[in-house]
Amino acid sequence: MEDRLILSASHLKKSFRTGRNNNVLAVNDVSLEVIKGETLAIVGESGCGKSTLARILMRMIDADEGSIYFEGEEISGLPEKKLRVCRRMMQMVFQDPASSLDPRMKIRDIISEPLLAWKVYDSRSKREDRILELLELVDLKEDCLDRYPHQFSGGQRQRIGIARAIALNPKLLICDESVSALDVCVQAQILNLLKSLKQKMGLTCLFISHDLAVVSFIADRVCVMKNGQICEMAPASRIYNDPQHEYTKYLLSCIPQI
Amino acid sequence: MVKGIDITIPRQGIVGIVGESGCGKSMTAKSINHILPSFAQITSGSMIWHDPSGQVCDLVTLKEKEIRKRCGTDIAMIFQEPMTSLNPMMRIGDQIKEVLRIHRLETNGEKAKARVIEMLDAVEIPEPAIRYKAYPHELSGGMRQRVMIAMAMIGNPKLLIADEPTTALDVTTQAQILKLIRRMCETYNMSALMITHNMGVVSNICDYVYVMYLGTIMEQAPTSELFGNPMHPYTRGLLSSIPGVYDNPEFLKTIPGNIPVDRKKFKGCEFCIRCSNDIKKCFFEQAPLYRISEDHYIRCHVRGGNDGDINNGASVTEKEE
Ligand SMILES: Nc1ncnc2c1ncn2[C@@H]1O[C@H](COP(=O)(O)OP(=O)(O)O)[C@@H](O)[C@H]1O
Ligand SMILES: [Mg+2]
Repeated sequence: MEDRLILSASHLKKSFRTGRNNNVLAVNDVSLEVIKGETLAIVGESGCGKSTLARILMRMIDADEGSIYFEGEEISGLPEKKLRVCRRMMQMVFQDPASSLDPRMKIRDIISEPLLAWKVYDSRSKREDRILELLELVDLKEDCLDRYPHQFSGGQRQRIGIARAIALNPKLLICDESVSALDVCVQAQILNLLKSLKQKMGLTCLFISHDLAVVSFIADRVCVMKNGQICEMAPASRIYNDPQHEYTKYLLSCIPQI
Repeated sequence: MVKGIDITIPRQGIVGIVGESGCGKSMTAKSINHILPSFAQITSGSMIWHDPSGQVCDLVTLKEKEIRKRCGTDIAMIFQEPMTSLNPMMRIGDQIKEVLRIHRLETNGEKAKARVIEMLDAVEIPEPAIRYKAYPHELSGGMRQRVMIAMAMIGNPKLLIADEPTTALDVTTQAQILKLIRRMCETYNMSALMITHNMGVVSNICDYVYVMYLGTIMEQAPTSELFGNPMHPYTRGLLSSIPGVYDNPEFLKTIPGNIPVDRKKFKGCEFCIRCSNDIKKCFFEQAPLYRISEDHYIRCHVRGGNDGDINNGASVTEKEE
């Protein structure tokens, strides 16, 4: 595998059983490459298989067929024990910050959880320093540490989720509809935050969204999915200004113009 | 809480209320339809209903029973998530037929069924006679929203209130539903009030827009005027926060801060804490609605000028830009 790639996948397939004689082919022969440092967006209507693809790439679920390489090493088929390094290097930011943060945990514990789990720091004070550093990265104030998730607005909760996701200095951040539930003003703040974090930390980002305008702001390359398949993958400017596939053209035509 | 809202909806017009969640949009719509939550009350003001027959009545003073009669006939409502308004155990056709029965619009069962199928067809549900027998969970989100629209339309309302009708839908389905609502307004001589946080929806379908922040109308203008010449700092902030499809800055210009979670009673402009204009007056005194031009009003001391208050019938200044 080439050096410039952080992640690549070939011929991934995944179907789910939905009834006694019913299967849905959620991901149908998907191959893609994620280049180091880029933001690759996956767009498509709901149900087209975006989340399933993301979960396969992260090895949260197993594909029926196909292979995945992370930093040159094949991770598909690796047993959990051998996945430790790649688990640490790939982190996810979810759509709904409310349900992805444990309501009984204080913010301090939520953010320090990965640091503790990976035994990153041997002293409490070093860990505390890192927590403060993370808070500053996501623009949260120190006084939030002793509060609980429900005491924050949706946008602030998403900042907490991002702080937790970047705590271990991951190489690849997967954002699954991370800004979709937010109002425009908060959405803009979080989009700016993701973009600046990416620059500061040299992150690679796989950005999943159904919103073509949001994707246009953040993505370097765009992959358009329909019915579990990729129908077009190209640099963002190409997708928006010179779409080739009929479905891409159709999606673009549906966006209300402001 | 929503205070002192003045909204005019012209016949056959489509009017939008736009703002972030928690800013009082839905409260406004619900109060029009009198299904206010029990803790909320209309303490002052009126809602004047101009019947096509020329009759005028104030909805606020109507009795409970008369209100219920009007809901579904004169005024109908659709919501973001149809699943919560539909009965999961009942065939969709029968649910729509119920509306006809309750409002005594059609008592003959066969004729009622025919009318329902006709309406399902009108909202572009394929094979309406077959879909009549479907249960809500058997339909996609877009189809369920069509069912809701059919249910709203069967009473032949004069006003349709749509609260975030496309928020849960994909852009592709959203485009179809918006087109349908517009066509319904034209075909059935109906007005619509669209409540949404989505500026794209507003620009796509509305003729006139009210921008709301924390229960107060901050700016109102015809749609093209609002998008072409936004005046209020809040409107400008909202618009610059939206990523463009074809053209984007390196970073989006955002409104600093958040919508306050616990809101105290406040004398000044609701937006002043987040506003880039740092003017003392704004903290102490709410701005009146200033008239900028024909049909374009803003509630802002700084950009509205200081000597035009339409509410008090004072002189109106033209705003330079
Ligand atoms: N755990 C599951 N069991 C059954 N079907 C599933 C499961 N997860 C996803 N699906 C189905 O797979 C398809 C793709 O879903 P998903 O990946 O969530 O799409 P997207 O994220 O693009 O909305 C859908 O038809 C969905 O219903
Ligand atoms: Mg998904």
